[in-house]
Amino acid sequence: MSERRIGVYICHCGGNISDVVDVKRVAEEVGQLPGVVYSTTQMFVCSDPGQVLIEQKIKELGLNRVIVAACSPTLHQLTFRRTVARAGLNQFLFEHINIREQVSWVSEDKELATQKALRLIRAAVGRVQHLVPLDKRRIAIHPAALVIGGGIAGLVAARDLAQRGMKVTLLEKRPFLGGRMSQLHTLFPTGEDAHAAVNKVIEEVVSHPLVTVFTNAQILSSEGVVGDFRTRVRIEPRGANEHLSYGGNAIAACPEETINEFDFGLSHRKAIYMAYPGCYPPIPAIDWHTCTKCGKCVSAVGGKGIDLGEQPREIMLHSGVIVLATGYDPYEPLYGEYGYGIFPRVITLQQLVRYLDPQGPTGGQLPRNGDAPTRIAFLHCVGARQIEGVNQRQPDGKVKDYCARTCCTAALHTALEIKQQYPDAVIANFYQDIRTYGRGHEAYYERASEAGVLFVRYDPYRPPRVEKNPKGDSAFVVKSRDLLTGGLDIEMPADLVVLATGVVPHDISELIGMYHCAVGYDSFLLEVHPKLRPVELAVSGVFLAGCCQGPMDVTEACAAASAAASKAAALISQGQMEMDPFISKVNEELCTGCQTCLTVCPYDAITRDEARKVAVVSEARCTGCGTCAAACPSNAIQQLGFNDAQVLSEVHALLAGAALA
Amino acid sequence: MAEANAIQQEAPVATKAWEPRIVAFLCYWCSYTGADAAGTARMKYPPNVDIIRLMCSGRIDPELITTAFAQGADGVMVCGCHIGDCHYISGNHKTMARMPLLKRTLTDLGIEPDRFVHEWVSAAEGEKFARLVREVTEKVRSLGPLRWPQRMKERGVGSGMGRQAWGA
Repeated sequence: MSERRIGVYICHCGGNISDVVDVKRVAEEVGQLPGVVYSTTQMFVCSDPGQVLIEQKIKELGLNRVIVAACSPTLHQLTFRRTVARAGLNQFLFEHINIREQVSWVSEDKELATQKALRLIRAAVGRVQHLVPLDKRRIAIHPAALVIGGGIAGLVAARDLAQRGMKVTLLEKRPFLGGRMSQLHTLFPTGEDAHAAVNKVIEEVVSHPLVTVFTNAQILSSEGVVGDFRTRVRIEPRGANEHLSYGGNAIAACPEETINEFDFGLSHRKAIYMAYPGCYPPIPAIDWHTCTKCGKCVSAVGGKGIDLGEQPREIMLHSGVIVLATGYDPYEPLYGEYGYGIFPRVITLQQLVRYLDPQGPTGGQLPRNGDAPTRIAFLHCVGARQIEGVNQRQPDGKVKDYCARTCCTAALHTALEIKQQYPDAVIANFYQDIRTYGRGHEAYYERASEAGVLFVRYDPYRPPRVEKNPKGDSAFVVKSRDLLTGGLDIEMPADLVVLATGVVPHDISELIGMYHCAVGYDSFLLEVHPKLRPVELAVSGVFLAGCCQGPMDVTEACAAASAAASKAAALISQGQMEMDPFISKVNEELCTGCQTCLTVCPYDAITRDEARKVAVVSEARCTGCGTCAAACPSNAIQQLGFNDAQVLSEVHALLAGAALA
Repeated sequence: MAEANAIQQEAPVATKAWEPRIVAFLCYWCSYTGADAAGTARMKYPPNVDIIRLMCSGRIDPELITTAFAQGADGVMVCGCHIGDCHYISGNHKTMARMPLLKRTLTDLGIEPDRFVHEWVSAAEGEKFARLVREVTEKVRSLGPLRWPQRMKERGVGSGMGRQAWGA
């Protein structure tokens, strides 16, 4: 081991640290430790003079290890790594010790806090003895992006990537683009037409020469890592193709009907169908579960443009990055939840929106109770903000305890639409809290109140009940205690009950397995850091766009998609990617080929070289958790930057002086 | 390792009133950030717990914990992300499997169960971390000094103590 020349810099942080920790004494005592050739205090080590001093002393004294004891490494570790690198020292020969968030800010006794700071720095001195120079990994990025999901988030991500000059492939599982947004009627906060808005983006995407779109696309498998993903996709047969000129005749001729999922079961569609007028691609698709291959559609169009014997085909896509935009599903209420499934006039907000769409099942009309003004009860927080022990558990054993964020504004927006169309309608909202949080959203709350929409605040521990009206002058009575009137019990006759339902992630369990995605307790995909890296997965090269990450409205989904696209484009345009070097490494002399590490690796990053009978780590795939290092029975696999020698020395030095006997 | 031993020899043995020495192994993404959150909120807790940062609680080899006890720790804490929130998908699942097993082994080796605490702390749970530190410190304080090597010697075992680290 060559001579260690350690420099230690202790930060006052302008008093944040030095008001509690006696930094001068710490510097003096640390200066006595073996290998420490320089120790000092600075008012702000992160300031320019502080950084210059680090560089200067590295050059002047030949420091080959640097320790900074200051704030949390999450704040300035990168700053100081760059500082030491500027002075020609390998950046991983630097160690950051946290004596602010974890010492001065949490301690009251100055003497004990000073001792704690001293111990932590002593531990670092033990650790840096064993640090070795490491290099960031560099991986080449194939200049193409794959976007999974053809809803608004996927479309925006694909468009933004293409506009930056990136080659993009967009995959949509269903036969038509547009996703959940195409099922909306108008959008808050502008009131613009949802179809027109989504079609505008679709037009931008499909007309762009750099974008290739596949609908009916099913991902079979994905291999590879950042920079070099290989995705095998099966394109299911559409049945109809671009040679079809009279699609309407084919649809009219089809004798088979099934429930129309586009209208959430409120209408029927044929086996050969279009999702909605003006959808993309403008070619009907055949639903093979419903089609009996009777051939009537083929005869109706003169035999051209429909192939009932079309076979699926497989394609292989090569991409450097992947954007997941797999979207959400509206929460499907359980059978009997507020009467849902029992009474046909208990519907979800999504179904109500379909009723109001002029292209929807009723041409934009609400189901009415004769000539009487329609009485509508909106029930908020159905399948959202649920409480364990109050609400029934979901099939996955959990309650949906998170706020679905979009439904308050959506419900009020829809209530106002109804008020415009049916000024006599009586509308009441049964809610826990109104969370119209977005820009311009609060105006809906005010306008709804002004328009005479009623608000009844229920106690989440005693949610409202929907019962059949025994008197028969309305379909239902909604019973609730109203907290706004000091706990009066209220009964409201209603012809229509609308459940403002929550948002659940679309089921992508296969993709989650394929891409090793982290998933939160709420079952949505989990970003690396909720604030600082909100659109990246921990798996390098995979980005998140839209509602696969959590409930978002169209505005937020588009913002997230643009962010994901820009992160993905940045990676592609660099041509290569730098990654932390803390990956695992196998000492082949010690490895017995027992494969324990293979079984614990969350990323399938380890394989066994059958010829040499040793474990081999894929540098690109390893994310550096170190789980294998803890599991290896022969200590053959070690995590760079956190190997046994480094961590054990840290423990030894930390506990120096502790009583053994 | 020679340097670490040298450090150990030079450091003065505490002569003042006994204070519990507790080592906490924390994952970087959730628990370490949770400990930072306690600091940012200026929550106060006893200065007896020294944090060692690892990337994932899955890296916490039982050897690290036994080494800490063998080197004089009176207590050890292990904190990681909650199940389902692991930055590395399932690193903490391995922690969840290892720690109860280790706890039983430690009990067999003469270490009281309250000296070894395994808890999940999320990045937002600064208050939980502070509370945990207070509780663990108080429990260990009431148990008194561990002096594991001495305890083992009295039981007639312990020749394997102070094993050298790999690659040292």
